[in-house]
Amino acid sequence: MKLRVAGIAVLAVLAWLLPYQLDSYLIHVANVVIIFAILAIGLGLVMGIAGQINLAQIALFGVASYATAILTTRAGFGFWTAAALAMLIVAAIGLLIGTPALRMQSHYLGIVTLGLALALTNWVTNAHIAGGAEGITGIPAPALPGIDLRNDYFFYYLELIVFGLALAFGLFVVRTPLGRKMRAMRDDSLAAGAVGVEVPQLRMTAFFLASIYGGVAGVLYAGLIRYVAPETFSIANMFLLLAMVIIGGRQSLVGCVVGAIALSVLREVLVDYPTYAQVAYGAVVVLTVVFAPTGLAGLPTRARGLLQRWGWLRRDTGTPPKLGDFRPYDTVERPAEQVILRIDDVSMHFRGLKALQEVTMEITAGEIRGIVGPNGSGKTTLFNVVSGLYRPTAGRVWLGERDMTAARPHTLARAGVARTFQNLRLFPLLTVRENLLVALDQTSVLGNWRYALWQPGVWRHDRALRRQADELLDRFGLTAFADAAPGELPYGTQRRVEIARAMARRPRLLLLDEPAAGLNGEEVRQLSEIVRSIRSTGVTVVLIEHNMGLVMSLCERVTVFAGGRVIADGTPAEVARAPQVVEAYLGDSAMSEDVPVATPTEAKR
Amino acid sequence: MQVFLQTFIGGMSLGAIYALVALGFSLVFRTMGLVNFSHGNVVMIGAYLASTFYLSTKLPFALAMVLAVGGTGLIGVIIERVLRPLENKDFDLMLIGTIGFGIVLEALAIIIWGATGNAVPNPVASAPLQLFGLRIRTYDLVVLAIAATAAVLLVFFLQSTKRGAAMQAVAMDHEAATAVGIHVGRSNALAFMLGAGLAALAGGLVGPLLYVNPTMGGALGIKGFAAAILGGFGSIPGAIVGGFAIGVLDAFTAGHFQGYSELVTFLVFTVVIMIRPTGIFGERTVNRA
Repeated sequence: MKLRVAGIAVLAVLAWLLPYQLDSYLIHVANVVIIFAILAIGLGLVMGIAGQINLAQIALFGVASYATAILTTRAGFGFWTAAALAMLIVAAIGLLIGTPALRMQSHYLGIVTLGLALALTNWVTNAHIAGGAEGITGIPAPALPGIDLRNDYFFYYLELIVFGLALAFGLFVVRTPLGRKMRAMRDDSLAAGAVGVEVPQLRMTAFFLASIYGGVAGVLYAGLIRYVAPETFSIANMFLLLAMVIIGGRQSLVGCVVGAIALSVLREVLVDYPTYAQVAYGAVVVLTVVFAPTGLAGLPTRARGLLQRWGWLRRDTGTPPKLGDFRPYDTVERPAEQVILRIDDVSMHFRGLKALQEVTMEITAGEIRGIVGPNGSGKTTLFNVVSGLYRPTAGRVWLGERDMTAARPHTLARAGVARTFQNLRLFPLLTVRENLLVALDQTSVLGNWRYALWQPGVWRHDRALRRQADELLDRFGLTAFADAAPGELPYGTQRRVEIARAMARRPRLLLLDEPAAGLNGEEVRQLSEIVRSIRSTGVTVVLIEHNMGLVMSLCERVTVFAGGRVIADGTPAEVARAPQVVEAYLGDSAMSEDVPVATPTEAKR
Repeated sequence: MQVFLQTFIGGMSLGAIYALVALGFSLVFRTMGLVNFSHGNVVMIGAYLASTFYLSTKLPFALAMVLAVGGTGLIGVIIERVLRPLENKDFDLMLIGTIGFGIVLEALAIIIWGATGNAVPNPVASAPLQLFGLRIRTYDLVVLAIAATAAVLLVFFLQSTKRGAAMQAVAMDHEAATAVGIHVGRSNALAFMLGAGLAALAGGLVGPLLYVNPTMGGALGIKGFAAAILGGFGSIPGAIVGGFAIGVLDAFTAGHFQGYSELVTFLVFTVVIMIRPTGIFGERTVNRA
């Protein structure tokens, strides 16, 4: 920590002293480099942190530059007034460009943002007000009392301060709840929705942030160059910016800055051979994605790994951390008998496949309900409908008295529904603690005004969340793994992390999708203890499970699915005797005559 | 009405080109789930190769095209081989990797052929046909015929040959395909080669219609990609319908909005794709939950 503070101080002093070493040409280059670095931070936030492909970042930059240029030269505003208005315009355009992200992702989003960027370039090249292909000259220099910003050296210090603030703010966002939720959304947007992250709003926030960075860079560019023309905002420059972010390491804002500086310097060195520079950085992009997807920022970690493998660096060989015991919750009185979840005639069809057909069932508050049935009988589909991942083809889903049929996953999560996934969906690039922190944060996107106006509030909120996370880690015996990546943990531990994450929101209804899959006998015993304790706090638990021993011993009622329909419902003993259940599991009843009918004692084994 | 039909016909030939570009996109996407952002640049390289063979070595146009298709096929194989480690892993990284290839290809084209473009004379020098008072250029008919032939051959290849069937199998489930003994890498390389070949075909055909220059790949690639998505990404009939839709849309916006045609085209595309993200024929979506 001390080392890091010292390092930052040294870098700041070096940056402050840099102009004394540069002639008037190089200081101009340095000024442009800083602008690209700010742009790269914005792109890193939206692409690397929030996982939204944005090929319109350069267009946002252009919008702000052009808005400043038009407002100062055509409308006669002063530079700073124009700059403020330009920021508003670019924020609006940023939200507009982000709208498609609500409906599509990855390559679709890439092509749409690229198309919108082309549309903007097309507009400025043609519009009379934007000066056509010649662009706009004669933008007045920004004025600050006592400082002549027409001087590139003074402008450097203005940029340096803005850059420092921009980077600090970006890092602050990444390390606090907003950035954590964005990273969770990037890693797994389905799971993020299931733990209550408002995915659509967050995507817009990401584009909004990117547009703010684009806007700041654009205003600075207009003030520095005092001339704007379409080619500065071309697709070629967009790809250059993308290359900076990829080569630097998109998931690290510092990496993005390093990438921006490195590529800018490379471009400056090869200024007489621009096409060779282009070949070089294009090739480096290809090599980076194949061999070092984390970019320059990931190199130290990779180098350490290599050194350890070659035995040049000592591995930390402590005793491997052990999974602690689960500390049971305090028991509360069982809630009054009322229906907490009612599934009313729900059907779910995927084209021809009828995954669920007219399913009706009721779950009473405070019970542990088991759902069993052969593979492909529609159990997980039911969970997906209840947790809002699918909208049913027909029928309604009621949570208490509220109709939740068309609700989004995050709405359901906020209404008290939590779930785990059959194939584990932890956020792989977040630590175990961060996985819980994402779920613990109950604030809505609107609460993010604090990021702009009251940062200490954000900080305090984050501290409170961390305390809650520590308590939760301790309860589930996960403290030893708090800072590990989920992928490094044994399978059974990962399952427990997922249950802890689901419990972080203090749900009313917990859906567990095959929680015992892949667990050994002892782990299954611990699981059943955990589930009982969760139920004893008044939480209703529904679990899909193939482990009949667990279902029979744990559940009060069992619902049996086959072929997308409910074929039996009742206590474990009743269900195990039902002929249609035996048929579903063992085949035709005519053939199973010799098979002894499962008795409750046998099933409980 | 006359003007409407004339514009419509004008859009058809470029539409056929977009359809070819979209076919290349879709073929590669359905086989390995890869969106090749350098596809437009491969089209550009194809256009340059064809025009170079045609103009400087005085080869017949058809032969020049065949050579161009072969040349870009090789480029496709190289791209696939380099990006193979990422296949079926990180979608976004692969996408960015192909952007990197696009950057390199464009720069290489500038180094080899110079930054300025060159015009390609019309290889079919005959007077336009007159039909019900509409003027139809004979070259447009040639473009349509070649595009149609290519599409038919592609469908035949996918449905009636063993290699095509293998490619379809890889598209559906690459792990199961491996299990039954299909060499997935080789199959993907073949798909990439075919995609690049289609790109060269589009590039060679578009040469006489547009000016051949190093940056032509951008607009052609993006519009071809838009066509593929509009039709339903990964769908062969979708790519063809989408291509013609974008071509005709382009022709109309060029007529009505002149300089702003790209703006209008992309806005219309964005709105359509927002309303129906799966396109006209729908993508074969994979269920992830």
